[in-house]
Amino acid sequence: MNAKPFHLNRTLLILIILLVVIAIWKPVALIYGFQRGGLYALIALPLALILGIIGILNLGHGDFLTLAMYIGYLLFENLKIDPLLSMVPLFFIFLALGMGIYMITIKYVLKSGELNQLILTFGISMVIIQMAELIWTTRPRNLYVSYASSSVSFLDFSVGTYEFLYPALAIGVLIALRLFLKKTKLGQAATAVGQNPRGAEIVGIDTNRVYFTVFSISIGILGIAAGVMLPRTSIFPLTGSPYTLKSFALVAMAGLGDLNGILIGGITLGIAEAVIQSIPGYGGWSDLVFFGVLLAVILTRAYRRSES
Amino acid sequence: MKNRTGLIIAVVGVLSVMISLPYYSGAYFLSVTMTILLNMTLAVSWDMMLRTGQLSFGIAGFFGIGSYVSIVAVSNFGVNNVVSIFLAAAFVAVIALALAFAILKLRGIYFAITTLALTMVFSVTIRNMPTLTGGSGGKVLYNTIFNGDTTKIYWLILTMALFTILLSIVFEKTRVHYAISSIRNDEVVAKSSGINVFKYLTVLFVITAMIQGVAGAIYTQQYGFAYPETAFSLDFLMLPMAMALVGGIYSTWGSVIGSVVLGLVAEYLRLVMPHGSKIIYGIIVILIILFLPKGIYGTLESKLRTTRNGARK
Repeated sequence: MNAKPFHLNRTLLILIILLVVIAIWKPVALIYGFQRGGLYALIALPLALILGIIGILNLGHGDFLTLAMYIGYLLFENLKIDPLLSMVPLFFIFLALGMGIYMITIKYVLKSGELNQLILTFGISMVIIQMAELIWTTRPRNLYVSYASSSVSFLDFSVGTYEFLYPALAIGVLIALRLFLKKTKLGQAATAVGQNPRGAEIVGIDTNRVYFTVFSISIGILGIAAGVMLPRTSIFPLTGSPYTLKSFALVAMAGLGDLNGILIGGITLGIAEAVIQSIPGYGGWSDLVFFGVLLAVILTRAYRRSES
Repeated sequence: MKNRTGLIIAVVGVLSVMISLPYYSGAYFLSVTMTILLNMTLAVSWDMMLRTGQLSFGIAGFFGIGSYVSIVAVSNFGVNNVVSIFLAAAFVAVIALALAFAILKLRGIYFAITTLALTMVFSVTIRNMPTLTGGSGGKVLYNTIFNGDTTKIYWLILTMALFTILLSIVFEKTRVHYAISSIRNDEVVAKSSGINVFKYLTVLFVITAMIQGVAGAIYTQQYGFAYPETAFSLDFLMLPMAMALVGGIYSTWGSVIGSVVLGLVAEYLRLVMPHGSKIIYGIIVILIILFLPKGIYGTLESKLRTTRNGARK
C-alpha cells in the first residue's frame, strides 16, 4: 500500500515528460490523440462499470454503439433531430434497451459461469451485427452537419474543434458517474456489490436491482457516445466492433474499478495511436497499439500472479 | 458384444457412404457437405480446447494464419499445394507453442480476450505486410490444389474431419480425458493430484491450433483466395461455436451432430433469405445458452441415463 503513491507519481511523471516530447515533436498528433482518447475513454467507461460491478464482460459493447448510431441516424433523417440533441432520446432509448436485454438474457446467466456469459454476449454481438447488415446493408452512411467540420488554425496547422467535445463529454460522464457512485444510495450499493457481491447480499442489498440499474445506465451512456460520434463517423455494421476490445484494453490497463485511470489511459493510448498514424508508411500498424498494450498488461499481470 | 458389432457395422456403413459420396451426389450437395465438414472440424477442435475449461476465441486467428501461410508458400515460393498444407500446420504449431508459454497461464475472461486480441493482431500484421501477403487487397491463387478436382478436395476435407473426430475420441477415451476434465472442474485439485496442468493445456492448445490452421489452409486451397476480411472472419469463430453449442459441448458427438443439424438448417436459410441469414447463428447461440445449455446430444444423453437408471430401480 505504501509504495502505491510513489508508483503513481512516477507513472505520471513519465507520462508528462512523454507528452512534452510529443508536443514538440508532433503537436498535431498530440491534439488529435487527445480528442480521440477522450472518445475511447467515454466508450470504455460503461464497459468498466458492467465488468466491475456485474462481473460480466459484455462482448456486444461496441455493437450496441453501432446500433445507437444507426438509430441516431434514423432520428436525423426522419425527424430532423440534430445529432447532438439526439443524445438525449438516444440515452433513454438505450436505457430502455439495456433494461430489456438485462431482463431477458443477462439476468439468467449471472450465476452460470464465465464461459456462458462470454458466449452469450458474443451471441448478442453477432445478432446486432447481422441485424444491422440485414436492415441497413453494409453500405456506409454519413451524416452531415455544418458545425462538425469547423476547425481552428494554430501557427501552421489546423485542428477540428468539434472533436474537443469527446474529452469534454468523457470528463462530464466520469464526474456524473462518480457522483452517482459516491452520493446516491443506489450508487453506494453498486460500489459495495462490485467489491463483494455476497457480502452485499448478506447486509440486505438487492443485488438484482443494482445489476439491472448498472447495466441499463451503461447501455444508456453508449447512446450518448453514439450521439456525439454521429457527425464525424461513417456508420456501417462493424463501426463499433473495434471499440469492444479497445475498451477492454483500457479497463485492463487502468485496473477494475479505477474510473479515472480509464480517462488517463484512454488519452495516453489515443495519443500513442495518433503518433504512430502520423509516421508515413507505418500508419496501418497503429491498430496494434491497443492490442499490444492489452496483451502486455494481461501477460505481466499473469506473470506476477504466478510468481507470487 | 452384440453392441460392438452393431457399432462397427454402423461406422463402416457411414464411412463408405461418406467416401463414395462424390460418385452419386450432385455438385451442390457435395459443396454443402464440404462446408459442413469444414465447420465440423473447427467445432470439434474448439470443443476439445473447451473441455479443459478454457474458452478460446482464437479459431479465426489460427484459421487465417494457416490460410495465409499456405497461399504465400504456393504463390510466392512455388511450394507444392499439398506440401503447403503441412507447412501451414507446422507454422501454426510453432506460433501456438510460443504463445502457449505466455497465455496458458491465463484463465477465464483473460484467456478468452487474449485469444480474441491475438486474432486482431494477426490480421493487422497480415494487412501491413503487403509485399508478402498482398495487404488488404488479398491474394489470389491461380493453381489451386489437385487442379480444382472437387472429388479429391472432398476426400482431403473428409480426411481432415475424420482425423479430428478420431483424435477427439482418443482424447475422450484415454487418460487424457480424466486429466482435462479434472482441470476443468477444479484446477487446484487436479494440480494436487499430480496432473501436469500446463503440459496438458499446451498439448491441447497446440493440437487444436494446428487443426484450425490446416482447416484454413485447405479452405484457401479449395477456393483459391485469401483476404484479411475473409481469412480472419469471425464467421469461422461464430459458426463452429454455434454448432458445438447446439449439439452439446464437452463431447465429440455433440459437435458432430450440431454441425450437421445447423449446417443443413443454415444452408436452407441461406436459400430462403440470401442476406443476413447468419443472424440465426447468433440467435441460436443465445437461445441455447439460456434454455438448453447442454445442447441436443447432452440433453438426450442425460435423459437416456435417467430413464435407464429408473428402469434399473
